[in-house]
Amino acid sequence: MTANQNEILSALVDGELQGQELDHALQFLDNNEQAREQLQRYQFASDVLHGNAYDNSQIDLTGRLLASLEDEPTYTANISTKQKAQVISLPQPFWKQAAGLAMAASVGALAVVGVISQPQSQLIPMLSTAAVEAPTQIRAVAASGNRWTVEEAEIADRLNTYLVDHNEYAGASGVFSYARVVSYDAGQ
Amino acid sequence: MRLIIRLVLALCLVVGTNSFAEPEAMKVLERMGIAAKQLNYEGVFAYQTGQNLQSIRIIHRADEQGETERLVSLNGAAREVIRTNDLVTCIFPEGKRVNVNRRPLGRGFPSDLLRRLGSATPYYEVVKGKQGRVADRLVGELIIKPIDNYRYGFRLWVDKESDLLLKSELLAEDGHVLETFAFSTVEMGKTIPDSLLQSQISSGTEMTWDRTEPVSAANMAATNLLPRWHIAWLPEGFSLVAQQNRIKAKNGATVEQRVYSDGLSSVSVFIEKIRARHSHLHGGSKMGAVNAFGTILSAHFVTVVGEVPAKTVEKIGASISPADGKQR
Repeated sequence: MTANQNEILSALVDGELQGQELDHALQFLDNNEQAREQLQRYQFASDVLHGNAYDNSQIDLTGRLLASLEDEPTYTANISTKQKAQVISLPQPFWKQAAGLAMAASVGALAVVGVISQPQSQLIPMLSTAAVEAPTQIRAVAASGNRWTVEEAEIADRLNTYLVDHNEYAGASGVFSYARVVSYDAGQ
Repeated sequence: MRLIIRLVLALCLVVGTNSFAEPEAMKVLERMGIAAKQLNYEGVFAYQTGQNLQSIRIIHRADEQGETERLVSLNGAAREVIRTNDLVTCIFPEGKRVNVNRRPLGRGFPSDLLRRLGSATPYYEVVKGKQGRVADRLVGELIIKPIDNYRYGFRLWVDKESDLLLKSELLAEDGHVLETFAFSTVEMGKTIPDSLLQSQISSGTEMTWDRTEPVSAANMAATNLLPRWHIAWLPEGFSLVAQQNRIKAKNGATVEQRVYSDGLSSVSVFIEKIRARHSHLHGGSKMGAVNAFGTILSAHFVTVVGEVPAKTVEKIGASISPADGKQR
């Protein structure tokens, strides 16, 4: 599987393919057993990240962990309760990271860099594989001023690139328009 | 009969146009655009938005070779923007990064303000205000009010002697000031040596270079890199004034930019093919008076950016859809 093929499968899971791209992806799945297995892994990761139930996977780490704990001998009623409570109350990022590690074992070509929680109101989550290209730096959201009000450096960088291109066509403040680029507070 | 109706409508439009803009004020605006392109000047101006105040040095030279301009941040990191006829180079020393964008050739800058200015009059009231003083120079004020709340207003202070814009305020619907640019010192007409227009970043500094290159029209047509998109809503008076396609050298992503303007305000719509697993803006964001709205459509990042109110970029962004291969 090439990186591009992985990318196509991941886009398929995210519902981002349409028309000819979708047809090609489905044809590729029809003819390739490895691709079908890969798709299953991506689907699993997506389900875990989105908090959907998933009870039919060979790499269901969360289910296995819970099952193992259930099988542990009970020494006293108090200790047993405490153990279960500790596992079940683990924060969501733990399960996301567990899914990420499972993906790392399966998808050697991609680097796992951890999972970053983003407020859903600001970002479209694109982390369904739990494996992204590079570490993503989180920034505080500025209420106003000369910083984009976004949380992720990558998005701010993209918006800055767009701003440079847009400034070419700025209106009445044309003489000064690039001041916004020069003044950008990178928050560093 | 239809011809008469059309003539009456056309006449109404012309009358409406003239009723909004004072001819003398429009002449000042035109001269201001020419001065910005043709003068040599060097100065320091302040840029204020919200609680933030930044001092910026600007050096602009116009000669037979065209225009060259350099802006340097005087507070914090010494960020620079250098514009020549065909390149915009942004230097961010704190991130050790240089962005180089190729500009549309032969346009000068601001790219086409003069050409667009005439079309702005039906959508703004343009009148002359009081005389004043900025950077120890006599200025005349221009007050520009929009006809609706999909665009901002402006107050401009233009040098009486040279017609250079010396101070600019961008105004929200309720009149409060969103951004101010104002020269504190400025010198005009002096000879500007090459050394003043070159970056002061030392040659030994390791920098990461990001480039974007334009895609030729022939290349676009041959490879059909981008699907067609349909924009169903724009504020009244906005029309397509520029369109370009670029390829980011970093990841090979193709980015289409469409610029829509009413003559004074403008928005850019960026459509970028998603090349890898990345996050994107979902909804609105702002930086000073510039608003952005982002979404993902058909495996493309779609982003609207402009010096217009948030609701304008949001409404434009929400009206964009793939046109299923049909050119609109």
